[in-house]
Amino acid sequence: MSAQTIRTDQITKDYPGTRALDNISVSFDSGKVHALVGKNGSGKSTLVKIFSGALKPTSGEFYLNDEKLHFNLTGEAYEKGIVSVYQEMSLVPGLSVAENIFLGRLPQKYNTIDWHRTYQMAGQLLQKMKVEINPREMVSRLSMWQSQVVEITKALSFNPKVIMLDEPTSALAQNEVQSLFEAVRALRDQGVIVIYITHKLQELPQIADTVTVLRDGRLIGTVKMSDVEHKDIIHMMFGEVKVQSRPRDIQVQDDVVMEVKGLSREGWYQDVSFKLRRGEILGIAGMLGSGRTELLQGIFGSEPVQKGEVIVEGKSYKKANPIKMKNAGVGLTPENRKKEGLILVHSIIDNLCYASMNLTADGWVENKRRRNTFAEKQVEELEIKVPEVRALCSSLSGGNQQKVVVGNWLNTNPKIMLYDEPSRGIDVNAKQQIFEIMWAQARKGISTVFVSTELEELLEVCHRILILRHGRIVGEVNPDDVNVNELYELCMRGD
Amino acid sequence: MDLSGAIAGKLSLNQKKIGLFLLDHIMEVFLIALIIGLTFRAHGFMTWENWMNILRSNSLKGVIALGMTMVIIGYQIDLSIGSTVALAGVIVARLCRDLPPMGIDLNLAAVIGMALSFGVAIMMGWLHGTLAHKAGMPSFIATLASKFGLYGLAAILSGGYPIANQFPDWFNQIGGGRIGGANGIPIPAIVLIISFLIILFIMNNTTTGRAVYAVGGNKESARLSGIDVGKTTIIILIVVQIMAVISGFMTSGQVMAGSYSFGNGWELDVIAAVIIGGTSFNGGIGTVWGTLLGIVFMGVITNGMTLLNFDIYVQYIVRAVIMALAVLVSSYRAKVKA
Repeated sequence: MSAQTIRTDQITKDYPGTRALDNISVSFDSGKVHALVGKNGSGKSTLVKIFSGALKPTSGEFYLNDEKLHFNLTGEAYEKGIVSVYQEMSLVPGLSVAENIFLGRLPQKYNTIDWHRTYQMAGQLLQKMKVEINPREMVSRLSMWQSQVVEITKALSFNPKVIMLDEPTSALAQNEVQSLFEAVRALRDQGVIVIYITHKLQELPQIADTVTVLRDGRLIGTVKMSDVEHKDIIHMMFGEVKVQSRPRDIQVQDDVVMEVKGLSREGWYQDVSFKLRRGEILGIAGMLGSGRTELLQGIFGSEPVQKGEVIVEGKSYKKANPIKMKNAGVGLTPENRKKEGLILVHSIIDNLCYASMNLTADGWVENKRRRNTFAEKQVEELEIKVPEVRALCSSLSGGNQQKVVVGNWLNTNPKIMLYDEPSRGIDVNAKQQIFEIMWAQARKGISTVFVSTELEELLEVCHRILILRHGRIVGEVNPDDVNVNELYELCMRGD
Repeated sequence: MDLSGAIAGKLSLNQKKIGLFLLDHIMEVFLIALIIGLTFRAHGFMTWENWMNILRSNSLKGVIALGMTMVIIGYQIDLSIGSTVALAGVIVARLCRDLPPMGIDLNLAAVIGMALSFGVAIMMGWLHGTLAHKAGMPSFIATLASKFGLYGLAAILSGGYPIANQFPDWFNQIGGGRIGGANGIPIPAIVLIISFLIILFIMNNTTTGRAVYAVGGNKESARLSGIDVGKTTIIILIVVQIMAVISGFMTSGQVMAGSYSFGNGWELDVIAAVIIGGTSFNGGIGTVWGTLLGIVFMGVITNGMTLLNFDIYVQYIVRAVIMALAVLVSSYRAKVKA
């Protein structure tokens, strides 16, 4: 195959209020793995979506081998040989590997499926990927990395010129990553342009030939992997960040409200111990897959733990569940607010009062007036913008929905609040308001555990930050002593 | 310009409000229209006797539909209620036949039979709920199995034949009696109204009701809000079984016999009434009032068609159309509001 190039010429993508991509001119050539990195919201997925035809640029052009591309439908990118492999698996678990690869276009003979040829062709493709997977195997019986490779093989069966891999290792265990890399290198050596999107910088030296960094929609630069070090890339990703700091009047008190002792869950986190003081906002910094969400779920008792205990105000909880922890004064706002935090088909007032149901009722019987008071108190204090408290929760914006999730828990008079990625998918203003809420609660003596991917947020909000790496707490920092780059280093180091 | 724009805006806002109100109360509107139409067209429709007759014949399935409303709002289902209806009647009939010769008072025998039926119902509801919650067995499957099992049990206990004329008279009155003389209010209708008020209260005014809505609306969110999903699931599946037992007493009392063939196929009529009443099959949405309307609506339309000499098979098709329309209206309403 001769050399191929995909390149963009001054591509800009505007959304109302924000510019997702700003004048990006970049080119990727064949026979290399091109890493595309940047923190959340940097524009990397926007760029990929433009290549795959899912989005149209506001201005600018892009070319494949000097042919100007213009897609009206996603299928058109496919026809031109641009294929993306997403982290969400699109395979049918109940079908064989070969069937999945040729789904919808199985080879036929005499109007029936030619199974012999199907398996043979699939076998050849898998061989090209240098992996040992039986094409007759059911996909449901494959391991994660094998499924991921089948997904890539399926993409390869379209003879693509460009393959875009979006966080392909995010669901994989450490040893599986190596096997996947083998397959990616095999792909590269066949002359395919591989665009590799990742947030795991430690993978880059092993797999990437070039690194392209985006920050806030702007191209910071493309460098050869062999020319740079870890910290150079981090610096490119974050730049000089000015971290705003939390109000100084929030004082941490001396008494410990919660102590986590040797908490372990097989495969997710091991032997986690820490203390939380009254009025303290404790951050937990860790990358995706570090076990941070699972740790919060373990403390809250919504998922099982194998070992260890959580002590809340002197009382030990070993096999906890959300009901017990709620009664102990612990609340959790889950990461996925639509699926786990809210009941979208119900009204705002209902959603604000589910967790506090036992407090608003007189015993078994509802007290509707008190329920209204509870709901209206949160609407007012959290400044939830609602047309009417009886409107359905699904009619609210992301930020206001998040506030409803928080309000639902604040109505239970918690002593401890656990926040799992509270700022995900909400705008800057709403984010700031959520932080204000945390501070306001801290002033009232409520303690907080705050998990976020956005390390700047942790530095801005927290009194203290624990570093979680591969399910273990490996350090503790004072947010006043570190900057974002250093914190990022700490989270990634030793991987 | 501005002024007319403002007026137009206001008008359209009011129109929207009226539209939403009509959409919310479309069942009431249809029902009133239907009643007015039948009053003029169907001879003998608007009489006391006919209305009492409608109430009497629809209360038997109606009480179960009220319980089923809780079940469907809680995103579960119970297909076994028809067999429970039969079993409850058969248990009481069998004991009323077999215990008195052993020297036990007939009245006591009936009471023992009733208690036993309630016991079986509570046990079955608990079993369905536990299987659904703990073992992850969909209640569709668990209760389908029970439907066959309880049917078989009722057939064995009754020896394959109806057990007739064994009940004490007061038991017969539960199904066939009337308050206020021969033209009075049928007791099943009174049972229906009382059941309606109790379940209405539970669903609208208690923490149990709120939990049912929450669990049906989003099980995971409910669980993470510290709501006891398992307990809620078990409660609703017990309630519907208890309602089926009550219906079983009324059914067998009305015909003065217990038979394994009673209640056969009722589950679908009951579910139809709940769905026509606006309860979402996806859980979380629905009202007890809606189900009462659904019961009355189906009763009135069946009665009206009979009075107008509609072919019985045409009646099935009319019911099918009504059900499809009701569901379309419900999903349209959900879309408008979201």
